[in-house]
Amino acid sequence: MDGEIARRRFREIVPPNLDAAYRLAGWIAGPSEAEDVVQDAALRALAALATVAPANPRAWWLTIVRNAALSAAKRAQGRATGRADEREAEEAADPAPDALAALIAKGEAARVRDALARLPPALRETLMLREIEDLNYREIAALTQAPMGTVMSRLARARAALANWLGQHDER
Amino acid sequence: MNDDPLRPHLALDGELDAAAQIAFERALAERPGDAAAYGRLTRLRDALRAHAPREAAPERLRARIERMGAPARLRVWRPVALAAAVAAVAALAGYQAGRAGRGDPALAALVAGHERAALSGQPIDVASSDRHTVKPWLAARAPLGAFVPDLSADGFVLLGGRLEILDRRPVPAAVYRRREHLISVVELPLADAGGGEGDVDGYHVARWRDGERAYVAISDLDAAELNSFAETFSKAAEKAKPASR
Repeated sequence: MDGEIARRRFREIVPPNLDAAYRLAGWIAGPSEAEDVVQDAALRALAALATVAPANPRAWWLTIVRNAALSAAKRAQGRATGRADEREAEEAADPAPDALAALIAKGEAARVRDALARLPPALRETLMLREIEDLNYREIAALTQAPMGTVMSRLARARAALANWLGQHDER
Repeated sequence: MNDDPLRPHLALDGELDAAAQIAFERALAERPGDAAAYGRLTRLRDALRAHAPREAAPERLRARIERMGAPARLRVWRPVALAAAVAAVAALAGYQAGRAGRGDPALAALVAGHERAALSGQPIDVASSDRHTVKPWLAARAPLGAFVPDLSADGFVLLGGRLEILDRRPVPAAVYRRREHLISVVELPLADAGGGEGDVDGYHVARWRDGERAYVAISDLDAAELNSFAETFSKAAEKAKPASR
């Protein structure tokens, strides 16, 4: 009921972590759902912040996003088409300062993204939270509701799989 | 000790304590095979960080989210939300009273008035950018004459005036705008004066006085800009003094 307090907490937590939320939602529920998921999560967060002052705001907010994304992914099961097309469209939009470098970079970028897309979702999520969002093990464990040991082994397995897939190209 | 297959990952992710990290690096130096493996992990990380999709949230989403958390004045209010907001204002006053050194009920009432005015979408009772319209309007309704300077040269546009009720007496408030931010300046009898600046839950408050009057300015501008408003306003008051107020 303390609207202003909730909104102030909201301003401190949500906008600074909006890109992370959008990406997380995209990995779980697909890019086409990400926007709706984040908006839904933001409404839930705003309502909760009237009574909650989270100790780790970033992890707290991303947990809400993750739950919203998981529900959306469940709803969307069965109509999960067209994601690959969107990925390619995004890649095509990458800016290219130097043609040759761009060609090489694009090749590598495409391989990295393909490899990521092949990872099982749980491994991909853990890896992305670590590498892109820079969360530590404890935060990832809290967020994904997995024991630390699971987080570690997921990271190791994700990296081993990627190194395997990408390594074949490096040894040309 | 590097035989634990997870250890290179822990090292890479900064999850080892300092002593363990040093021991790990020392062991790497002695075992080229491990060092090469660790090098591959590092390059993999670089490739990921360089090439993994890293979309930013679309602008329209960001705009919607920021509106959600914006102070009340920016939002469109439905009657239900308005009722909730009035409850929030009441709660705000209570919250305010509960904080040490901030339990000034008059100030809480003024901040509540500013917030209520802002979120009703009608921050002013008389709308005019002409001080010669606003001043008589306020003077006719409040026992205190209002000082309503033209500060547009300094970037504060006069929107109009409003009456606040404080202790059952009407007090005049001039309302200015800077960019999208509203500023309410309330004029009080000297006896009611406080001093200094503060922060009443989301709103900045500046208080000052001149020889005859005390002023309270309330806004969601940041403290520095509100202070500059207060300075500008007092300078204008100083200048206007010899003439009629």
